Amino acid sequence: MTRIAAVGDIHVGPDSAGKLAPGFRHLSERADALLIAGDLTRRGTPHEGEILLGELAGVDVPIIAVLGNHDVESDRQDELVAVLEEGGVTMLDGTTTVVTCADGGSVGVAGVKGFGGGFAGACGTAFGERVMKEFVRETEREAAKLKDALTSLETDHRIALLHFSPIEATLAGERLEIFPFLGSYLLAEAVDTAGADLALHGHAHHGSERGVTPGGTRVRNVAQPVIGESYRVYEFAAARSNGAAPATGEVAAVH
Amino acid sequence: MSPDRPIPPEYLITHIQQALGQDPRARELGVDVAVAGGRVVLTGTVATSAQRLAIGEVVCELVDCEAPEGHEVVNELAVVEAREGGPVEELA
Repeated sequence: MTRIAAVGDIHVGPDSAGKLAPGFRHLSERADALLIAGDLTRRGTPHEGEILLGELAGVDVPIIAVLGNHDVESDRQDELVAVLEEGGVTMLDGTTTVVTCADGGSVGVAGVKGFGGGFAGACGTAFGERVMKEFVRETEREAAKLKDALTSLETDHRIALLHFSPIEATLAGERLEIFPFLGSYLLAEAVDTAGADLALHGHAHHGSERGVTPGGTRVRNVAQPVIGESYRVYEFAAARSNGAAPATGEVAAVH
Repeated sequence: MSPDRPIPPEYLITHIQQALGQDPRARELGVDVAVAGGRVVLTGTVATSAQRLAIGEVVCELVDCEAPEGHEVVNELAVVEAREGGPVEELA
């Protein structure tokens, strides 16, 4: 049995000291790792990163995160990542990490920030203006990084950790007009091509928690305003995963 | 558009949302803004109570909430709760 805690969009700012730590008090007893799906900070400053580390000080399990759009707002993401990694957080950007659990099982995590672009039938195309091409190609690069990272994992279970959404279903509740700024089908295609047991994302504060990719991979929007608590916990069975998708998507039992 | 005429709500909403993204006190994109009947209503969820107040302050300045001709600001933003202990989801 392997348990993974996850949350996104915690938006730590200068006024956040002492606000998050109480919600992580029992996390180390409940999960083997904590995954954070981007928007760790409000403005992406190293100082906010230091405040975040203070909030996470009581967490004794591996902490794994990707950046979100807020974390690149000040264009100081390299400094932010350095602060967080110095503090023991594993930051993923087209890279992977493996969590080995108490029962000997392994969970591989592949992470990217991702980007927007929209979904099948209503998405941007690399055509016309240079900035439009660059917009779409940014997402193509992120998706390619994700696919390669996931493919490289040879663990019992595989998780795709994102900030932007791979599917529309977990955006339900957001205005339809802004879907192209909230995610891209290219991320789902990468997940389905490489195979994964679970895809986690944030970014859509007004979205919905549960969905499934076109290929059947479970997707969870763990943005804190969506889940309404400090983190969610996902439990994997001990059996080895083959990355295959459940036939109907929403088969997860909640107890 | 004459400078004497009131700004249409559609433009005011976008001005407020742009300001909330760019003002250093706010830096928040997840606020829903509605304008009607001389009121600006803010809804959504933010990280801290200080952030909630700062957002209200930024909007208040932008719409002259203290002035008779300004808009009243109704701050209905919620603050995320840091509680834990929710159900575990088993991935079969």
